[in-house]
Amino acid sequence: MPRYELALIVKAMQRPETAATLRRTVETLMERGAIVRGLENLGERLLPYNISKHNERHARGGYFLLDFHAAPAIIPGLLNHLHRDVDVIRPTVLKNDTESSHEHCCGTSAPMLDDTVRN
Amino acid sequence: MFQVISRTGTPVTRLLASRGAVLVEAVRGRKSRNDPKAKSKEGRIKVPPPIDPVEMVVLKERFTEYELIMRALRLEFKEEMLRKRYEAEVGSQAEERAKQEAEEHRALMAWNDAENLRMRKVRELRIQNELEAAELKKSEEAIQAEQLLQELIRAKEREILQLQEDAKNFITLENLDQRIEEALDNPQNYNFAIDKDGRVVKRTVLE
Repeated sequence: MPRYELALIVKAMQRPETAATLRRTVETLMERGAIVRGLENLGERLLPYNISKHNERHARGGYFLLDFHAAPAIIPGLLNHLHRDVDVIRPTVLKNDTESSHEHCCGTSAPMLDDTVRN
Repeated sequence: MFQVISRTGTPVTRLLASRGAVLVEAVRGRKSRNDPKAKSKEGRIKVPPPIDPVEMVVLKERFTEYELIMRALRLEFKEEMLRKRYEAEVGSQAEERAKQEAEEHRALMAWNDAENLRMRKVRELRIQNELEAAELKKSEEAIQAEQLLQELIRAKEREILQLQEDAKNFITLENLDQRIEEALDNPQNYNFAIDKDGRVVKRTVLE
């Protein structure tokens, strides 16, 4: 299963409510068959610009990073659900491939398959 | 004046023309066959040129002699040529020459066969070497492929083990609350700059 990362921006709320939002999100993920690896908090920060969402204008938000393993088919449904969540300002799902191999980058010493081309 | 071989004859006639004949078109000139003769030529009787009998006799004798000699010479030459050709084919030297040529031919053929044999041996040796080299290469490549496969398998096993290790840290329904509390307590900050040796140089403060 490929590995995804959900960069979640939640509304600037009190701690219990933020906890509840996170719990809701993780439970949604697990219901859809994802396996959550870890959760990171990047703090409550000033947003780079004012974002209007769900009839509210936000200047600050909590940044959270959720990485999980999931089937690709659930992602659209998940994003749809997150867009509808009132407490979520901006959900972003990114692919997280750490095993990308750069073996055949140009300039590396990969052996040429055709010896007759090089004289 | 000369015997005219007309163009309207068959091509065979042209080819079989005698030596003194001339291949000229026999044309009637300006007037055709049914045109009346000209007034100045109406009563003309064509008269052959006058001949002196004595002169005639002398000339005839001389001509016959001359022609005889010429014919004889020509036939002599023809005969000589035919004899030469005959001698070349069925003469005293012909057999020996034929034998020599046959010998030469046999010798050359033998040499050719020897060369062929030699080349065949060389070629077979070469092909054998090439086959062996190819087999060696194939076996080496098989070994390489196998090694690669083993490497891959080992890499995959390592990954699986790594994943199993990581799985202990995954979030489950039981850990959920605890992990959320942990996360909320420890805000991470990735806003730092790094120099070429990998040491952290600058940190931006979270507001």
